[in-house]
Amino acid sequence: MIARLWRRRSLALTLTKRQYELRYRQSVIGLLWAVAAPLATLGVATLLFDRVLGVDTGGAPYPLFALSALVPWGFFASSLTFGVQSITQSGGLVTRFAFPRAVLPLSMIGTAFIDLLISCGLFVVFLILSGTGMPSSALWVPLLLIVEIVLVVSLVLLISALNVFARDVKLFVPIGVQLMLFVTPVMYSLRSVPESLRPWFKLNPMAGLVESFRQVLVYGSAPDLSLLLPTILITTVLFGFAHWYFGATEPRFADVI
Amino acid sequence: MDVVLARNVIKTYRVGVGRARVREMIPSPFDRAIQRLFPDWWLRDTFNALDGLSLAVPKGSAVGLVGHNGAGRTTLLKLIAGVTAPTAGAITTAGRVAALLDVTAGFHPELTGRENLYVAAGMHGLDRRDVLARMDQILEFSELGDLIDTPVKRYSVGMWARLGFGMVSALDADLLLIDEVLAVGDAEFQRRSIQWLDAYKQNGGTLLFVSHNLSLIRHMTDRLVWLDHGRVRADGRTSDVLNKYARAGERRRDQAEGRNRQTAQRLMRANGLDRWGRGGVRVAEADVRQPDAAVRSLLVTMKYQADSVRRMHFSIGFIDESGFEIGSSLSPEFYLEREAGSVCWETENLPLRPGIYFPVLAIVSPEGDLLDRWKLERAVVFDVNGGADVSAELGPAELGGTWIGES
Repeated sequence: MIARLWRRRSLALTLTKRQYELRYRQSVIGLLWAVAAPLATLGVATLLFDRVLGVDTGGAPYPLFALSALVPWGFFASSLTFGVQSITQSGGLVTRFAFPRAVLPLSMIGTAFIDLLISCGLFVVFLILSGTGMPSSALWVPLLLIVEIVLVVSLVLLISALNVFARDVKLFVPIGVQLMLFVTPVMYSLRSVPESLRPWFKLNPMAGLVESFRQVLVYGSAPDLSLLLPTILITTVLFGFAHWYFGATEPRFADVI
Repeated sequence: MDVVLARNVIKTYRVGVGRARVREMIPSPFDRAIQRLFPDWWLRDTFNALDGLSLAVPKGSAVGLVGHNGAGRTTLLKLIAGVTAPTAGAITTAGRVAALLDVTAGFHPELTGRENLYVAAGMHGLDRRDVLARMDQILEFSELGDLIDTPVKRYSVGMWARLGFGMVSALDADLLLIDEVLAVGDAEFQRRSIQWLDAYKQNGGTLLFVSHNLSLIRHMTDRLVWLDHGRVRADGRTSDVLNKYARAGERRRDQAEGRNRQTAQRLMRANGLDRWGRGGVRVAEADVRQPDAAVRSLLVTMKYQADSVRRMHFSIGFIDESGFEIGSSLSPEFYLEREAGSVCWETENLPLRPGIYFPVLAIVSPEGDLLDRWKLERAVVFDVNGGADVSAELGPAELGGTWIGES
């Protein structure tokens, strides 16, 4: 599947570009949404978790603490929410052209990735404003990003394929993403989680990822391997399964859609 | 060399929505395992759109596909286009395949014509530069002008067809699949498309063509394949198969109704277009007899069933294979005493050229209201009688007259 996709990379790029233009076409502030969305979440989170609940940030300024996790979380959430319908929405293409179907979910992830780059810029601005500057441990970021991309690709391949057969999936995903936000230490720290519950959090690959991002970007130390390794393991297994499942069901999409 | 080679192709669809669709989410190995465990339960509610079909299309040929609704034409095109995979058997194609499976051509309504062209070209493995190089050609063909930068949701159906055809014309395809797209555009667009297709064929392109318009089929193809319930029923020279196909009309429908509920329902819907009228009286049965295919004499018997109407005219007319109405004969006013009965119309020599003609039976009130109109599915075929089937001859009417040459 990967070799076939690589040969059609120009199609994937074309679709990503179209997808991105479509999303902001006829919207008034357009690209600013990529910045406005995380800023709005950050504002509310600061009010609620910092001022009202007084979350333990380990001495880091709360906006920086939250944004370091909100940025990777935003990529995850928007990939899943937009990606779930990537195949069903393009039924017209699926039933008329022969092409590797995976370019549809991948191009959707591509648009979320553009948003991710923009919000990364936002994070850098925050870093400079807070006067801390970029720690050298930020060199871990590319590795963490790769793990996150593989995780997101696996999940989106899986849910977009399942949604072809049962549209319940698209109804569930927004709720699922919301529920996951509650059990992922994005706006609070894993430190605030009681010791007895922490092993369960390690089963959530996004928990390991956002904690690691925060570790390397805000606290300036290497990621906690007891968190990161389970994440990598789960992601690998998930990718294997998603790759197999998508390949096995892909030929039927046009019949069922 | 065969551009398309299909061997014993079977394509099975599950009937119904909901549960049937959810079953499809189980990948094949597991699906087969469950099938072995519960054979009766698992395979229920399927039907074969293609049922052991074999077909070879050599390079450079122009092949037409006809068949009644549910015969498998569109399924076959989709398999050849690679959009879906056969359930069993094998289908292979050689070279670049371009398909225009319907008017919408997969265009996204929010994207402009130009953007849609980039996407469609990408789908066919071309990149942006290739499209840019051919943009002038596409623009010239589609005659869309500045509208090419307007979202296609603002296009008319004819403009969609022009854009789709413009795209296909720029793809340099080795095999072209066209399903009922020419019918949409205006006459001028049709003429240009046909001209382009003729040139494409001359340059060695291979064409697979589906249309309800038999005269287009006759013009565009030299070989015709008649599909029937997912199998090849006849395959041969276009004019031969066309004659057989047109004659078979009515009988095919009866069989279809007995065989498959879904197909029958679709056919009934199609019949809505073939039959209308205010009611009160209707043609209950029709019998068209042609003593000899080479002779243009006909005996048509119409059995009527009247509810309230007693005074009426009967009419019989003919439509040619492209849907053109040729002419009709109207009876004098009849006063009918009984509720049911029959009338006959006889002609010794219809002034029509060899060809395929669909009878249209009608009952009209003395005030001129159409009470029942019925286009028969089964055509009358006048074969060529000895003389040549010369394409220089125009239209359906046989004008006769005497020719005198100076020597």
